[in-house]
Amino acid sequence: MLPSITILSLLALATFSIPCLSQTTKHDFYVCAAVNKNYVIGSKIVTTSGLHRSDDAGDWQHVGINDPSIFAVSFDPRNRDVFYTAALNGALRTLDGGKSWRIMTSWDITEPKDICVDPHAPDTVYLAHPGGVAVSKDQGMTWLRLEKGLPERGKYTQTIEADRVRKGRVLAGCETGIYLTQNGARSWRRVLQTKETVNDIQQSPHNPETWVAVTQSSGAWASQDSGQSWIPFPDVPSEAALYNITFDPTDPKRLAIGSYTYGVLTSEDKGETWTTRNEGLPDPHRVWRIGVHTDTGRLLASVYQNALFVSDDFGRTWSKEGLEGSAINSFVFLPKERK
Amino acid sequence: MKSNFITSLLALFLFAQIVNAQPSYEAAHPSLDVIEDPIQRRAEYMARVNEVIEWRADIVKNGLAEKMDLASVSANLRLGRNIDECSARVIEMMQTPGSGPFWMLPSVCAAFSGKDLLSQEARDAIRESWRTTYQLRGDTENHFAMYYTMLYLMSEMYPNEPGDTWYTGKSSAENLAESRDYLIDWMDLTTTIGQGEFNPTHYIGEYAIPMLYLVSWAEDPEMQMLGKMTLDWLFAGLAANTLNGVLRGPNSRTDDSSVIERWNSLTSFFSWINFGNCPPTKGFSWGNYYGVVAENYEIPEVIYRIATDRDGSFEQRDLKRSRHQWRYSDVGKAPIYKTTYITDDYGVGSYQGGMADPIQTHVWDVTWKTPDPRGLHPTMFSAHPYSAPKGMQAYFNVRPDTMVTAVAAEGKPSYDVADKLVGCSPYEQVFQDLDTIVALYDIPKGTRFEQVNGFFSKDLKNLSEDKSGWIFAQGGDAYLAYFPLAPYHWEAHMRYSRLPSTGNGYRYERIDSGSQVLISPHVKNGTILQAAATSEFANFEAFKKAIRALPLEFTLEPTPSVKMRSLRRKDISFEYGSAPKVDAKAIDYSKWKLFEGPYLNAEKGSRKLEITHGRLKRTLDFNTISISDSVIP
Repeated sequence: MLPSITILSLLALATFSIPCLSQTTKHDFYVCAAVNKNYVIGSKIVTTSGLHRSDDAGDWQHVGINDPSIFAVSFDPRNRDVFYTAALNGALRTLDGGKSWRIMTSWDITEPKDICVDPHAPDTVYLAHPGGVAVSKDQGMTWLRLEKGLPERGKYTQTIEADRVRKGRVLAGCETGIYLTQNGARSWRRVLQTKETVNDIQQSPHNPETWVAVTQSSGAWASQDSGQSWIPFPDVPSEAALYNITFDPTDPKRLAIGSYTYGVLTSEDKGETWTTRNEGLPDPHRVWRIGVHTDTGRLLASVYQNALFVSDDFGRTWSKEGLEGSAINSFVFLPKERK
Repeated sequence: MKSNFITSLLALFLFAQIVNAQPSYEAAHPSLDVIEDPIQRRAEYMARVNEVIEWRADIVKNGLAEKMDLASVSANLRLGRNIDECSARVIEMMQTPGSGPFWMLPSVCAAFSGKDLLSQEARDAIRESWRTTYQLRGDTENHFAMYYTMLYLMSEMYPNEPGDTWYTGKSSAENLAESRDYLIDWMDLTTTIGQGEFNPTHYIGEYAIPMLYLVSWAEDPEMQMLGKMTLDWLFAGLAANTLNGVLRGPNSRTDDSSVIERWNSLTSFFSWINFGNCPPTKGFSWGNYYGVVAENYEIPEVIYRIATDRDGSFEQRDLKRSRHQWRYSDVGKAPIYKTTYITDDYGVGSYQGGMADPIQTHVWDVTWKTPDPRGLHPTMFSAHPYSAPKGMQAYFNVRPDTMVTAVAAEGKPSYDVADKLVGCSPYEQVFQDLDTIVALYDIPKGTRFEQVNGFFSKDLKNLSEDKSGWIFAQGGDAYLAYFPLAPYHWEAHMRYSRLPSTGNGYRYERIDSGSQVLISPHVKNGTILQAAATSEFANFEAFKKAIRALPLEFTLEPTPSVKMRSLRRKDISFEYGSAPKVDAKAIDYSKWKLFEGPYLNAEKGSRKLEITHGRLKRTLDFNTISISDSVIP
């Protein structure tokens, strides 16, 4: 599943903000985490779920609404107090850093799983939802279903990612494949056909022409031409769902895949070969979200309703790092603000 | 996200343990005499309404004011009793509000019941909780109906307030407009292509209660009227699908208990309170929230008579729709062609098979009348126990690996169990002609659970396995003949009994219910069922002889296929994957109307339902938002 502004695209945001050199890390670390084991609609929420930020001491601070359904967050690169979430009730927006919120969509859009701001047209927000793709050109105030080129059936959209270097260029991971728009969603065309849902798409922080994707039953894929064409990664299993994929922003050779069935798969040769890295993770190693810390290269794995696990040797050993009982839907890194 | 409905029911059930005896639940079965005098009918209706309110309110009389929930608060407020205790309890409960429609509905009930009675502090506490506590909308049609009705009413109660006073971040006017738009869209769907969660054993309450609240509390007369019309629509459907108050036929959603003990569902509360012709369920269940304002609505005589004053057998055909399929299907809302045939002694009901809802659908059955339905299993049917992560994903916006386990932990324990009896399957196709059912199964090899399960009640008499292949039995005053197309064996029916929670999801133990399950472990399979009234034959042997004499041919390869003559002298041929034929004429479902039968009639897309009984006629016209009553000359 896609963090709204991924590790990759957020590197681009560094151009908007110069990190404070006195701090030990250059980025703020956010997660969208559900701590809701056994939660059902109507229950009293006794845990704290939703957006969390790691403070300088490494403790998690909750931000905004206690919502177990937040799947993704995306920040306005001009003003980090403005950000959007994709959650059960629709797309939400805050203008004041999470103190107040508004549900931006209406009854006709439900359960979006991903959201992204176009970094080069930040009033434009793209929303991936079960009915397809919705686009707002006015910071979420109004939404249009811009789906020309998406199939009438088969446009269930799980993940959406704006190109960090070209305005209006977006890739959407749908039920029937990956679709590309180069004109701000006025039209889409399929660039990869899959049997079942595309679960995650990521753009390389090292080379913006390079993209990767994972799917429910069609394995993992890479594109070296900005998503125009795709080739499968060899050696990656496809019998069970691959949930998400990440680059290591500190090492262009490194990639990792998260899977509920396979756990963690890593590659240290740009995807030529893959190795299972589950030793030290709980058994069963039900990995819900994989990520890499932008500053440190630390591999991050959310094990479903268990905890966040981290590895400083790219999966060879693991240790628990808090967020007990959580399932983390996305990792997000924002350049620290100058203080 | 799954609903907390079962948790709510459990809470209401536990409540039932700590208050007074519940008169109607414990009394003898109510009289089935039709009440001709409308004044007496109203008086008896109000007596039932008052029983609910008094019973719920009595917790305070029992010295347990501190245990009041929002239903008992509302009941006390309705009676004008214990106002200070109600205010105190509301303030206390609003310190930890719930998080979705199953909390929004009770809080609205208390807010409106206490509008002029609760202390200002208590009213402010409710209002404040709608600012501070983020409400999750849920993911099912009943969630949305409750969520938007409650948001509508609260926004109307507190107009002209800005977005920062609501959890939505939207102003009262914006909340009101969005809620109204949803509700009207939902009514439009229902009155053009059919109900989504059709004929549910429990979820009728999640629609009826919001509609009653619109009738009772909406300020906009149009929304009041739409609420009333939709209540009529729902209860007309209930009336035409019950026999002595007990729901018959297929269900979009049911559960492991109600599919067997057919009376034991919330629909029985609504039959009891509206028609007075069956006992209510224990604790009145979610119906407590209906009872509080039930005086504001009463079914019209035409609906009352459909439920209580029948004149022989009838067949009703309805068009419904499936739960919306987000993916892995060529259609979003699949049409459901539902047939119900009800006689004086039994009912046979079905839809055409396939997927209607991923978890809790019941596709077909015969159910028989009993002098008192409580504790009985008056039903017979078969089903393929379909369980598939991808099947879940078609309807739920979830990843493939967690939902199967999650639903079991959330109150649907049988979902991934081989001997389950609840649920539809993409590999089941069903045809019904009057009281004959042909159900065919063509289950791909490798499918989880390569078997068909048939339910045989502990309450059957004279069960015998005939060398002809028919299994004969008697249920009440119905003779039943069940023909399995493939070999089978018997297993005990193990019901689910809820265990105390350990904080890690629902837990159950399985207990022998006394009934049996016919297990047929073959992927090419089928069931034929025929029913008849005992009064139609000299004796059971005569029925058996008549069944044995009927021509019957079937094949299982390459696809299951049946050619037969029914007891009603119809030549039925049905091959899996093809349109069924009756007397050589293929059934054309495309011509199915929204409602077609002696009591309910509507054209597809019409937004207009005609409800008739004898000379009485009521027309619900959603085009003009009007109700018209007439007496047919």
